[in-house]
Amino acid sequence: MSGLGELDRPETPRSPGAWDERSRRSLTGRPLADRPSAVDAGAREPSAGEREPGRGERETGAVGRPVDAREREASAVGRPVDAGEREASAVGRPVDAGEREASAWASPGGRQASAPPGDRQASARTRRGAVDPVKALMHRHRDLCERAVDPLEIAAGLEAHGVTDRTAARFRHRDVFSLAEEMYARVSRDTEPAPRPAEPSPPGAGATWVVYALLPGVLCAAAVAGLRLTEGRPRLITAAVGALALALALRAALRRGPLSAPVRTSGTWTCWLIGYALLGDGLLRTALAGGPDALPDGTADGAWPVTAAPVLALALSCAPAAGCAHLFAVRARRRLTASRGLADFSASVRPLLLGAFALYTGVLIALLTITGAVLDEPAAHPQALTLGALLLLARLLTVHGHAHAATLVLTVTAAAEGAALATLFAGRLPGCGFLAVPVETLVAVCGPAGVPAVACGIGALTLLVHASRRLTRASAHAGTPSSEGLR
Amino acid sequence: MRIGLLTEGGYPYVSGEAGLWCDRLVRGLARHEFDVYALSRCEQQETDGWVPLPPQVSRVRTASPWEPEDDGIVLGRRARRRFAEYYGELATALCTAAPGDPAGASQEASALEADRFANALYGLAELARDEGGLSAALRSDTAVRALERACRAPGAHRSARQARVPELLTVAARLERALRPLSLDWYEDDALGAVDLCHAASGGPAALPGLLARHFCDVPLLVTEYGVRLRAHYLTEPDAPPSIRSLLAAFHGRLAAETYRRAAVITPGNTHARRWQERCGADRAKLRTVHPGMDAAPFAEAGESPECADPRTLVWVGRIEPAKDLVSLLHAFAEIRRAEPGARLRIVGTPSGPEGAAYLAHCRGLAAQLFPDEADGPHDVGRNPVSFEETGGPELPSRADAYASAALVVLSSVVEGFPAGLVEAMFCGRATVSTDVGAVVEAIGGTGLVVPPRNPRALAEACVALLRDPERRERLGAAARARALELFTVEQNITAFHGIYLEILSRTPARRVVLDDMGEPLPFGAPAEAHVPGRWADPAARIAVRGGPGWATDTPVAATTPVSATEGASR
Repeated sequence: MSGLGELDRPETPRSPGAWDERSRRSLTGRPLADRPSAVDAGAREPSAGEREPGRGERETGAVGRPVDAREREASAVGRPVDAGEREASAVGRPVDAGEREASAWASPGGRQASAPPGDRQASARTRRGAVDPVKALMHRHRDLCERAVDPLEIAAGLEAHGVTDRTAARFRHRDVFSLAEEMYARVSRDTEPAPRPAEPSPPGAGATWVVYALLPGVLCAAAVAGLRLTEGRPRLITAAVGALALALALRAALRRGPLSAPVRTSGTWTCWLIGYALLGDGLLRTALAGGPDALPDGTADGAWPVTAAPVLALALSCAPAAGCAHLFAVRARRRLTASRGLADFSASVRPLLLGAFALYTGVLIALLTITGAVLDEPAAHPQALTLGALLLLARLLTVHGHAHAATLVLTVTAAAEGAALATLFAGRLPGCGFLAVPVETLVAVCGPAGVPAVACGIGALTLLVHASRRLTRASAHAGTPSSEGLR
Repeated sequence: MRIGLLTEGGYPYVSGEAGLWCDRLVRGLARHEFDVYALSRCEQQETDGWVPLPPQVSRVRTASPWEPEDDGIVLGRRARRRFAEYYGELATALCTAAPGDPAGASQEASALEADRFANALYGLAELARDEGGLSAALRSDTAVRALERACRAPGAHRSARQARVPELLTVAARLERALRPLSLDWYEDDALGAVDLCHAASGGPAALPGLLARHFCDVPLLVTEYGVRLRAHYLTEPDAPPSIRSLLAAFHGRLAAETYRRAAVITPGNTHARRWQERCGADRAKLRTVHPGMDAAPFAEAGESPECADPRTLVWVGRIEPAKDLVSLLHAFAEIRRAEPGARLRIVGTPSGPEGAAYLAHCRGLAAQLFPDEADGPHDVGRNPVSFEETGGPELPSRADAYASAALVVLSSVVEGFPAGLVEAMFCGRATVSTDVGAVVEAIGGTGLVVPPRNPRALAEACVALLRDPERRERLGAAARARALELFTVEQNITAFHGIYLEILSRTPARRVVLDDMGEPLPFGAPAEAHVPGRWADPAARIAVRGGPGWATDTPVAATTPVSATEGASR
């Protein structure tokens, strides 16, 4: 049985009354006789401050309730009017007090006399003649009344404070619901809605994700340096270890911070695209020349040249990519709280997305230039730039819950690159020479960089269009508040 | 009879609320078969595991609506248009005046709104069934835009109109979670379609699968509410922005109204729940109050030996927290001591939470200050007339012993739901004095004294009157025990539900037609008490099912054996 209705069990009363005041009084040693006795719950503590001016009134209206009851009965005929009337009478206090004085003297004399003198004094002091008990009740529960969105909420709140139908009967209401309805109807709502609480500043993301975002760049630089400084078997080992370390670092960087996605995605196609950036151009060039005759040896001038500069630049750009994603997410969230409509939000987020994208592109160009100069390789701007843009946009879409399109475009791009290489080799088969024509034409026009640049460029453009539609919607930025509590 | 028991954050989970009641119901109605469909409430609950299930529970299916889910289902164009239409209807129904709002227009208008909500809900459910899931769509931009349009439309509720983008997003996410049952695959003929009756153990989210089962498979729905979920919803999130509260309150209110409208029978646990249900539009003809059942056995010994009580001891039993107003009790006891100097008060209970602990410390301080320690003679060690104790120790093994030790049981709460402690005292045959809160009067009837809350003097006077009148005490105690045994035992609870099950089924058109040898429909072929033959003709087969981990025991439909009329009547 103990489990029954646990949730529904009424709340602890929050108003001061249950145990603070009385018990404090008794603990400070005030004699018990002074205690208010037999106080009815309804009119127990109506705002002392409000009632202070009418001291005489309180004295005379000692028995309070009969008077009050008659008054309410008289006006209870038409309730809607009644509310306004009472409002008015509450404002015009002096008149009202006089009225009450008269009626108080007129009616309850007998009862006053019958009460024992000590008791009467005590109750006279404490029991305030409530002109409008509902108003007093509303004052006591003003927070509840002001924030209620419908009468049932007031009813639930009143019940949680111990108001029952019996209590409601004292306010001349059939039940708590009709009492709550009156209170709901009487709350003045002309006040401005409370200023919304300031958006809590995003939790200090801390330096951890920055460190993780820097990790791929650092490891990649070390691996490239290792490749340059070693020969033969150690170089092979360095290459293997470096590739593994880079993959793990990339994984770590994508698991934390602004680049982490709610869903797990497969990194196969990303790895394939990066691998192509490292080896693809060399393979394409040697394949056109009839090769390859040997496996890559890790240098830029071997039989199968390796282009390390774009990969290093991309690895180093993990940190700026995370920064851009963070910037975008935080700014978008801020706009979210500030904007009034969905259309407003979309309009204000679009330039933000383009700005973040442009920022990343600029940083990547700079990194490409630097790494090209340091490694003394020809700058591979177009293909690395389009690849970087593609990867960033795909990640942004994944982070904001549109992993489907991102995966699709990455797969198509990787497949296109793979197909370009495959057609070259297939063209060597007798009678299939026509297969290699498109790629050969493309390479003749743009050089070997043309294939990845075109593939990634088309992919990046598609994703940019898609992102500018999807990421500017409010639902793409909704994940944080509701799901944070859940995880 | 096969009963689909629908719970939310409840029965099969160890930490579920109202789990005890469901467990007793399932064990008490062993001749019926139960399929439990449970929605869990949090991760903790799932890791805590299940209670041991009796063999009559033939299958358990669970879902976890708290889990963020991405089903990745992309709606096609037509489905998206349907979704936008239904969701827009739903949002419009939520944004117009709330159901409890008297400012809302006439009766027809509100009926129209209720219809609109129901249509939208069932439309979405059908869409979810066709597409395999809606959770992605319910969080999509389409949904948020539909909400925004509804909030900005003329005639929208005042607080809904204030909704801004973050609030709209939150509402959409919350609605998605509340509507998660739509995406479940429970409404097929081998799941909820196969049960004879859906019994929702609470209102709100638990009743939603029942509503859908009724919509898709015409399964009658029985809703039991010991606490009103709508009311609990109002009390849980007082600090959220008004627009969120307004929209969600409208959703829960309309869902409750629709549940009450569609349910075959509604069983509130007490008058308080009944009033809320009536207020939310429940038809009085469908309401049957079924009081919660409590196990009377532990209190039988105390109840049958009223003479072992100390005639000058009062006892208070419960969880110690501010709402219990022990301060009032102590003040009242001070007055009692003035009239009856030998009286003693035992306060038995454990504090609940840090607030309760602080309150307990406070009460101890107050008791020490009000009542000095007393000793029998100059050479004895004194003790305080008020003692604070906990059950479980060697002196006081159980609550029954606490009740048994005293002549009078006192309840001084200012806020109370259903007073379980009071009913225990009634089982023990003790006279009671309680405050008039919650369902106290309903429980006690005329068998105890009731005083206004926060009135120590009245409480003291009532206690003194009973302390001085042992005969009256005994009379009241015996009456209380008789009343409790009649109204609040587990048996009455189970019998009541058994009767209600049969009543509902007898009024439900037969969904499955039994054919005789000639292929003609056999009238009354599947009576309400129909059983699966394997159950009692071949107990071994039953045990095999019981032992297996799989729950899929698809019972044959047509081959049923009616039980004899006498057996049916004797249950």
